[in-house]
Amino acid sequence: MKSVYIIATAVLCGMTAPAQTNAPAPRPPTVIDSESAVFDPNGHQVTYRVHVRVNDPEMKLTCDWLVADLPQAGGRVDHIVATTNVVIDGTDAKGQAMHATCARAVYDYKEQNGATNETVWLTGNAKVENVQWTITGEPIIWDRVTGSVTASNQVMTLHQNLAGAATKTNSPPARTNVPPGSIDNIDKNLHSKNQF
Amino acid sequence: MPSAARAQQNTMSSATDFTSVERYEAPNQQQVKTRLSGAEAWPLSGGLLEVKRFKLESFATNGRPEVIITAPQCVYDQVNGLASSPGHLQLQSGDGKLRVEGDGFLWRQNDSLLTISNRVHTVIENMPEMKPAP
Repeated sequence: MKSVYIIATAVLCGMTAPAQTNAPAPRPPTVIDSESAVFDPNGHQVTYRVHVRVNDPEMKLTCDWLVADLPQAGGRVDHIVATTNVVIDGTDAKGQAMHATCARAVYDYKEQNGATNETVWLTGNAKVENVQWTITGEPIIWDRVTGSVTASNQVMTLHQNLAGAATKTNSPPARTNVPPGSIDNIDKNLHSKNQF
Repeated sequence: MPSAARAQQNTMSSATDFTSVERYEAPNQQQVKTRLSGAEAWPLSGGLLEVKRFKLESFATNGRPEVIITAPQCVYDQVNGLASSPGHLQLQSGDGKLRVEGDGFLWRQNDSLLTISNRVHTVIENMPEMKPAP
């Protein structure tokens, strides 16, 4: 499966990397509401059903079915599966809105040998978009540690001129299959391969 | 109904002192798995008990409290190991980082599953640190 790696850099995507600290500030709690739920204390798992709404300080998620592994004492939620009509809304470091939809989203958190892996896999008509671009692919992998997005069989639709032109037009968005590599040079790729 | 292999102790010493304890199977048979209690209890027909100020605690094999469930009232089916109520319920993890409430519940003692039927509201403290969206 051909994979296209997209680096959501600060320069082109308007994002800045969060400051790395050893003692992250306490976060407000995450709230989950649903019509019903089944708790399995022994299996350390909870299944939320029907109109599931997750309100996290940095994102909101809705779906129809969500299974979360409950943390052991002193631990943290390390595995969440959201399925059916999954919608994720969040903001980046600049407060820029992002919107993702898919049939299934899987969140995983793991610490190994001092390294942290934290990813969200989006599958099933997966789409991630912000004001600048829309990405579709199968799957779309959001690395929450690096802030990067990896998409297989990826298609990107640009919503505006990433070169920074101040002009605002109503021209239709450019649609292109971005070759493997960074979108650092997306404007050059567009000029060289897609003459509109 | 809890399996015969499980050591279970039921006491109904008075209408104001109800406790049902389920223990782990061997080799942890000395450890309490769940403790179901109520401030008041009245026998109903069919082996049912109406329990006021219902409290259910589950413990790990090392004795650490894992979940505490409380409700103002419920009906406890001693024969089938079921506790249920259409009323309000609150759940809290042993470390207090998970808090849940909802309306209407069914606790199945056999498989230790709790179903909350309506208006489930969960608060989770200290979720993993979220990074900016792509």
